[in-house]
Amino acid sequence: MSSRKTASRQLTAAPWLLLAPFLALFVLTFVLPILVAIGSSFTKVTRNGLFGEQGVQTDFAWFSNYAQALANGNFLASIGRMLLFGVVQVTLMIALCTLLALLLESASARWPGFFRAVYFLPYGIPGVIATILWSFLYVPGLSPLVDLGKVFGLQLDFLGAGSVLWSIANIVTWTYTGYNMMIIVAQLKSIPTEVYEAAKVDGASPWRVARSIQLPLIRPALVLTTVFSIIGTLQLFVEPQVLKSVAPTIDSEYTPNLSAYATAFAYNDYNVAAAQAVLIALVAFLLSFIFLRLTNRKSR
Amino acid sequence: MSSITRRSALALGLSAGTAALLGACSTPGTNSVNSVATIPAAQPGEKITLTYWAWLKDLQKVCDVWNAQHPLIQVEAVWTPGGNSGGYQKMYSALAAGGGPDLAQVELRSIPEFMLVNGLVDVSRYGAKQYAERYDPTLWNQVSYLDGVYGIPQDAGPMALYYRQDLFQKIGATPPTSWQDWATIAAELRKAGSYIDCFALADSSWFAALATQAGASWLKAEHDGWTINMTDRATLEVAEFFDRAIDKDLVTTNYGQYSAPWFAAAANGQIASLSSASWGDALLQGVSGASGKWRVAALPRWTGKGFGSSYVGGSTAAVFAHSKHPQEALEFAVWMTTSREGIDAMIANSGIGWSPSKDYIGAQRQQPSAFFGGQDYNQQIFLPATKQQNPDWSWWPLTQQSFEILSDGFRKKASGTSLVSSVKLAEQNIIEAFKNKGLSIRKVTS
Repeated sequence: MSSRKTASRQLTAAPWLLLAPFLALFVLTFVLPILVAIGSSFTKVTRNGLFGEQGVQTDFAWFSNYAQALANGNFLASIGRMLLFGVVQVTLMIALCTLLALLLESASARWPGFFRAVYFLPYGIPGVIATILWSFLYVPGLSPLVDLGKVFGLQLDFLGAGSVLWSIANIVTWTYTGYNMMIIVAQLKSIPTEVYEAAKVDGASPWRVARSIQLPLIRPALVLTTVFSIIGTLQLFVEPQVLKSVAPTIDSEYTPNLSAYATAFAYNDYNVAAAQAVLIALVAFLLSFIFLRLTNRKSR
Repeated sequence: MSSITRRSALALGLSAGTAALLGACSTPGTNSVNSVATIPAAQPGEKITLTYWAWLKDLQKVCDVWNAQHPLIQVEAVWTPGGNSGGYQKMYSALAAGGGPDLAQVELRSIPEFMLVNGLVDVSRYGAKQYAERYDPTLWNQVSYLDGVYGIPQDAGPMALYYRQDLFQKIGATPPTSWQDWATIAAELRKAGSYIDCFALADSSWFAALATQAGASWLKAEHDGWTINMTDRATLEVAEFFDRAIDKDLVTTNYGQYSAPWFAAAANGQIASLSSASWGDALLQGVSGASGKWRVAALPRWTGKGFGSSYVGGSTAAVFAHSKHPQEALEFAVWMTTSREGIDAMIANSGIGWSPSKDYIGAQRQQPSAFFGGQDYNQQIFLPATKQQNPDWSWWPLTQQSFEILSDGFRKKASGTSLVSSVKLAEQNIIEAFKNKGLSIRKVTS
């Protein structure tokens, strides 16, 4: 009896044993940092003397770091800016990548494999490099586009206060459209051929096939790419950070992540930065949640 | 008997873990190394190795000169990214973890920020003050706080005016001696299709340098806390001056000095001069086709006030809190920055800015330069400039944040906000930032 008991115990221990390496890493690199960040966002440092040489105390601060983060107009402005960015850029990009995927998967497409690779290519270029490349097309004095605009009497200003956000949106769209397109293409490929054949027998036009068969069946892929893009928007960091050096209108807290970065590393205020990070995570969670709720409701 | 459900056990575990973390979360660097006993020098015959984190290139070659003479005190250079491009983040993290090098390169303006995390050793406790005589007094003033010494000046950046002789001759101008002249020449140059300089809205340190030249001294460490005065006459007049210069399109705000578009414009002759630090000479040589065209003149002066020159940049070799051999680290830093062989090796290998030593600018800098058309510019222009600087300026613990605040205001110039109002607003925001850090600060009026 006892031997049977130990055997069953071994049986229940086995999955845990196999999971252990993963769980250890998961706790160490995911759960712990989150807990530390949350803990840090509730502490505050007070200093005595000119440099804290007469003593430094760390106290529990309730929500004062959150209050300070939310009182920072730049941080709030950056979240508002990203919401605007998201509404325009994500919508455009999802529409564009869906269109590209449908065109590539249509029966009359030429060299679909080649064009898939070409559209996907920008994703292989690191964000920093991509931004530097684009900045050469944006900066007046270097940009052939600006010079070309002058020939036609156009004053192109890619880095102005009103336009630089869309110049960033352009880089992001350029980078990620191909990537999102691949996800949609994968889902398109999983549609059984019988469905197409049935549509053909019924005499459906390509437009009708796209509208009534393909679009409804790739819904999961569209929802997935949209949620990823919403989260990606709030995490926007590299493009504005690099473009900052040529675009004076991008300030140090242009996006929420840049704001947290500046607070942590330029201002050395890890506690407020942690509060900002928690707030960004909450907003990302909230937006994804609302989006999933809306799309789920529609499908019912 | 109530049994603990799995969920409540999990909740209990989570909250206990969070509480433990909160408890363990005391901010690193809360205990000052400068309040405990000093560390004695190494025993005679004991061999030690010092590490030195810096973004100077080929610094190991400089250390090798020392290593050859001091077999028992070996110095190992480790390259880090430049200060705010990642180097400081790495240093702060190392300090927070209780580690870090013996010595690290810290900019003059960042010394107080490192003091705020108790990251630096007060080297006056190891006899640094006896070396004060060897250094430029302005620089020594910028490493001295609270009767202590928190870094050894390593290089500096006295300012002058670099200009294109051919472009100035074309409009019949000689280098301006006052900022008024500068504005007049700028207008002439605009007609000839060049800008006299650019005004980087995104980098306020240049503006700060010129306000310093006009006699400003923004923050001071007093016994009862920090005092701030950014809205003195000198600063506001400099802000007004550049407000006018930008409004009249005398300077361009499209790019900053030494940025990619700046190099393109300079190569095309669209930039006729720039007010910059001595280390700009090396960068100017990156402008294509520039050789022989550029000359150096003294920085223009503000009429009726201020100083002949100013400074941008400059760094120190600072002894870090967790060094086990601060005495030897200090000796090496002093050797490197004041001995002839140390300075010459730094200029030859690392291309440092201006030598911090009072009496020696380096052998290489005592001869005419072919790039500047045979001008002996270092002795003619920069050496006198080091003696005409504002000695009262000192840095403060939120330098980086303050400059970001000021730049964020300047960026709004494009949408019509004047520099003057940005300076006024920045002062209030900096006071706020000091209070958020738990430091005391008060406004003084001049």
